[in-house]
Amino acid sequence: MITTGPLGTLTQEASISTETTVSEVAVQLEGITKRFPGVVANRDISLTVQKGHIHAIVGENGAGKSTLMKILYGMQRPDEGEIRVNGSPVTFHTPGDAISAGIGMVHQHFMLADNLTVLENVILGSEPRKRGLAIDFAAARKKIKDISDAYGLGIDPDVLVEDIGVGTRQRVEILKVLYRGARILILDEPTAVLVPHEVDELFENLHGLVREGITIIFISHHLDEVLKVADAITVIRRGTTVAEVSPEGVTARQLAELMVGSELPSPETRESTVTDVVALQVTGLTIGADGERKVLDDVTLTIHKGEVLGIAGVEGNGQAELVEAIMGIRPSTGTVTLAGQEITSWTTLRRREAGIGYIPEDRHRHGLLLEAPLWENRILGHMKEKVNVRGWWINRKGARADTQRIVEQYDVRTPGIDVLASALSGGNQQKLIVGREMSGEPKLLIAAHPTRGVDVGAQAAIWDHLRTARAAGLAVLLISADLDELIGLSDWLKVIHRGTLVAEFDPATVTPEQLGSAMTGAGEEA
Amino acid sequence: MLRNRFGKVVAGAAAGAMLLAAAACGGGDTTEGAPSAAPGTDAPAASKVKVGLAYDIGGRGDQSFNDSAAAGLDKAVAELGVEINELEAGNGEAESAKEERLRLLASGGFNPVIAVGFAYSQSVAKVAAEFPDTKFAIVDDEANKLPNVSNLVFAEEQGSFLVGAAAALKSTKGDIGFVGGVEVPLIKKFQAGFEAGAKAVKPDIKIQAKYLTQPPDFSGFGDPAKGKTAAEGMFDAGADVVYQAAGGSGAGVFEAAKAAGGMAIGVDSDQAKTADPTVADVIITSMLKKVDVAVFDFIKSYTTNSVVAGSKVYDLKAGGVDYSTTGGKVDDIKAQLDEYKAKISSGEITVPKE
Amino acid sequence: MTTSSFTDRLLGRVKPSAWVPLTAPLVAILFAALITSIVLVITGNPVLDTLVTMVEYGSQPRSLAQIVNYATTYYLSAIAVAIGFRMNLFNIGVDGQYRLAGLVAAAVGGTITLPAPFLPIVIILVAMIVGAAWAGIAGVLKATRGVSEVISTIMLNTIATGIGAYLLLEVWGVRQGNDIGTKPIPAAGQVPGLGLIPDTPLKVYGLFILAVAVGIGFHVLLNKMRFGFDLRATGQSEPAAVASGVNVKRMIVYAMLISGAMAGLIGMPQLLGESYTYNLNFQAGLGFTGIAIALLGRNNPVGIVFAALLWAFLDVSANILDLHKVSPEIVTIMQGVIVLSVVVAYELAHRYRVNAEQRRVSRELAGAASITQKEGAAA
Repeated sequence: MITTGPLGTLTQEASISTETTVSEVAVQLEGITKRFPGVVANRDISLTVQKGHIHAIVGENGAGKSTLMKILYGMQRPDEGEIRVNGSPVTFHTPGDAISAGIGMVHQHFMLADNLTVLENVILGSEPRKRGLAIDFAAARKKIKDISDAYGLGIDPDVLVEDIGVGTRQRVEILKVLYRGARILILDEPTAVLVPHEVDELFENLHGLVREGITIIFISHHLDEVLKVADAITVIRRGTTVAEVSPEGVTARQLAELMVGSELPSPETRESTVTDVVALQVTGLTIGADGERKVLDDVTLTIHKGEVLGIAGVEGNGQAELVEAIMGIRPSTGTVTLAGQEITSWTTLRRREAGIGYIPEDRHRHGLLLEAPLWENRILGHMKEKVNVRGWWINRKGARADTQRIVEQYDVRTPGIDVLASALSGGNQQKLIVGREMSGEPKLLIAAHPTRGVDVGAQAAIWDHLRTARAAGLAVLLISADLDELIGLSDWLKVIHRGTLVAEFDPATVTPEQLGSAMTGAGEEA
Repeated sequence: MLRNRFGKVVAGAAAGAMLLAAAACGGGDTTEGAPSAAPGTDAPAASKVKVGLAYDIGGRGDQSFNDSAAAGLDKAVAELGVEINELEAGNGEAESAKEERLRLLASGGFNPVIAVGFAYSQSVAKVAAEFPDTKFAIVDDEANKLPNVSNLVFAEEQGSFLVGAAAALKSTKGDIGFVGGVEVPLIKKFQAGFEAGAKAVKPDIKIQAKYLTQPPDFSGFGDPAKGKTAAEGMFDAGADVVYQAAGGSGAGVFEAAKAAGGMAIGVDSDQAKTADPTVADVIITSMLKKVDVAVFDFIKSYTTNSVVAGSKVYDLKAGGVDYSTTGGKVDDIKAQLDEYKAKISSGEITVPKE
Repeated sequence: MTTSSFTDRLLGRVKPSAWVPLTAPLVAILFAALITSIVLVITGNPVLDTLVTMVEYGSQPRSLAQIVNYATTYYLSAIAVAIGFRMNLFNIGVDGQYRLAGLVAAAVGGTITLPAPFLPIVIILVAMIVGAAWAGIAGVLKATRGVSEVISTIMLNTIATGIGAYLLLEVWGVRQGNDIGTKPIPAAGQVPGLGLIPDTPLKVYGLFILAVAVGIGFHVLLNKMRFGFDLRATGQSEPAAVASGVNVKRMIVYAMLISGAMAGLIGMPQLLGESYTYNLNFQAGLGFTGIAIALLGRNNPVGIVFAALLWAFLDVSANILDLHKVSPEIVTIMQGVIVLSVVVAYELAHRYRVNAEQRRVSRELAGAASITQKEGAAA
């Protein structure tokens, strides 16, 4: 990854635009309110973004940032309030409206087709036409080159997307948006998928963009990054804007307290409860045939009763496969032993019965039946537990009673257990899953990103439940992209890179930087 | 206009409903239970005769079997002045729907009632028993015999023998084809006669045969595209004359013959007259199955109070089947064909039925 | 915020709330009546009279008995289809399954000799086994080789026709004039009709009771049993089912086997209650009718009852329309329009309901939220 931005070369044009943008307002939101299911809705949001600024919007997961951005990008319509772009009021019905008003969005998850070139990806959906028919590739290529040069993005239009790295992909996404004429860019958690040095490159690119007069709205909950890059910061808490601060006048700690609104919850686990009884033993776990690149290569790990083992790694390095192999969802070679019993050949259901709880990474796809009521979701994955079934029959009464128990014990905020799972907020859905997976006294809990996308209250509650269960002797395999969570909760950390465990750390002594460098595969050399 | 129709339908509906109710109450086993517009069996006046006719799938307009029946019905209207009502079978309907169709006609005062096609075999047997005072006729079936049912059947194999002979005489390549609509016994009769006729002329002749669909898929009687594909295959494989017994699918056979520069033989009606004019010139002859004659004769016998129950065989001798000469394409072999005709009529040749 | 796909809702894999199943079809049927009226006007037919004729004829005792008989057959077909639909399996092959099952069962019934209660039971079992086996081929192909069941069942339909024609014409068929059929099933194998509808000699198929049992069985299996839970879970979200330990491949095979066994029953009411033989008049195409009725009834055992009755009513009316010179094809148009309108009406109702439910949840939780908001603001 080479930094390509010609930092010193300010063009004539650029300096003019810089001058003209001072104190001009690019986006203004007044009294935006969006009523929505769940605990957090947007209410009375006010926000002023100056032209040519990097304006950060910070808030905990679930504070309402995403909703706000969806409103600004035309994906959702506010129930009340006004949006002004460059001074004039606008109403967006679709993202198309937002794009024509000069607003572009770079999503957290890239929307690029791997088997197409950068050029093809960029023009997809807005292909320039020659004589109304053929795609004018030459014109598109020139335009991409021009944009890339003007903003220092350093993108080659003719390489395949599958051949480029994460950082470059993100710049392609940015270019795609600029190509469509955006002058206001919304970046949704752009650093979530990047390793530290890629983050630095991104920030340089962002500075390059604002110098050219682009306005950037930067959404994040990583406060250090925000303080480093932003010109202005707006804090959102529980759906409303609570403060507007300048990065010079605030510390990360103060910002965090503004975000949380009270004392910070901490993922930290104080005393060790690790025993010497092995709960899970994984030996030589491998996925992928000989000769091919293996998604999981000879992974061996041990988790004891009362221990939390954290797996750190950039997403897509084999974490999901590791979890699925232990769950028996994905075929693999190697052995898995649970509490002294080999379960390698067991089915998923039998493993779950034997005491493995599973909080899947994607709760909507893997964890819930969204269009089924909560009490039916209680049965999901626990189709042999006594409270749920009697032999061949569903124990409706038992399942309902136990769902009620989970709702109370895990503070799932819902009007009742007959509500469809889709009507709950992400945090409450996750609390239901955690409650379900903790039922029936599991021996091992596999928790993949257990607090991703949940509000801060739910996050603290989930951490509490994990700690309590750990103290009671539960073994936990924790996968997370949130390094603070990993360091705070884990008793021991392993780093996964390209399907192999490449490094391990004591969370008490490791720094996020050390972890980050190990995650990129530089660990052993450094 | 519309108002008129409104009135008519209302009246019809009311009458129908009442009659139905009456039929239902009567249980269908008493004479009062089967109301009839015709005053019993003695000398019905032609002007009062209401003929009910139930078509097979395809109904009026299939350019073939049903249309032939329709022609007889139309002739009866024109020459005998009878009133008519026609109902049509739906594709993939239940057996009881056929039964109900006949019952609607019989209970609606239609007498005689004619069922076109062997598919009505069971239904006619049942409904005729319920309405002993109504005369029924069924075309193509003699499995069920009742005192008030006339079975109008045809010697399709004899007519097919003649066109088979014609095909063999006309073929220069010694290779002919047969396209059957659906592989059912009735159509196999056509094939058997055709092959016998061809072999009588030329024992070593090559005969290709293909059925478009197999039961219970009856789409082979109404799918010209399938007919075309099958015939194309035969022409490509070297045939120069193709005989079709495939109802509406036959149109495709004619198209294929036209495209291949081959010859075709029609079925049921004189298709050189009824087929699309652009392809009519490929039809050298047609196997005439005179359903129109049978239908007309039956209606006429009713008006003269001379209906005969049981089988009436329309064979070559009776003029019920024949070959057509429209277009003059078989004039050169007419003598030979007529010789076969005489031999079959006299019984010298017995044509196999399968 | 809803995440169920349109297909999920179309196939009834997700559950609508209480009022949706009632209001939506009513609105849809009214809408279909409107469209039909327009078609009638355009074709120069009197609207009111046509509809009145249909209703009057359809409410005759004899017609009612016929409607129940038609609906019995349709119901079995729709249930066979619905079992697959609830699990995301498109068993297009119900048609071939029931035809082949009907033929083999009829042949067995005409051949073997058994006393009264056993013969019909054996015939029905044979039909279920043949239907299940034929559908099972598609299930196994999908589970082991990943072959789309849509493709394989369509092909199996064609093969079933070929095998059926061969068996009927060359092996088991007995000529009866121009007809050909299996040997008639003796009296011991026939199921007597039920005089359910008063004032008509026409009896309702004895196997009407079988259809009722199948409906109850379907409901119990789906909603009360673990197997049904697994089946529904797989239909709603296959990834979630896999993660929960459902053996999806095995479920595919089981679901196809059950669907095929139900398909085997489709021909039984007519075979054992009316025709006693599989001949050229054996009703074809019921498998496809079943797909439409299953959609109309939202794959719900009770919904399908109404859908099958409505469909049967329309079919029975076709003859009386023809008698009054209204083209019976109007019935086909009505059936098509009803299915389409029901699909649209359900979709609209569903969207409305999801919004309503989300608003309700928000409202009921607003109390708690606003308290925390205030606390937050104070800090």
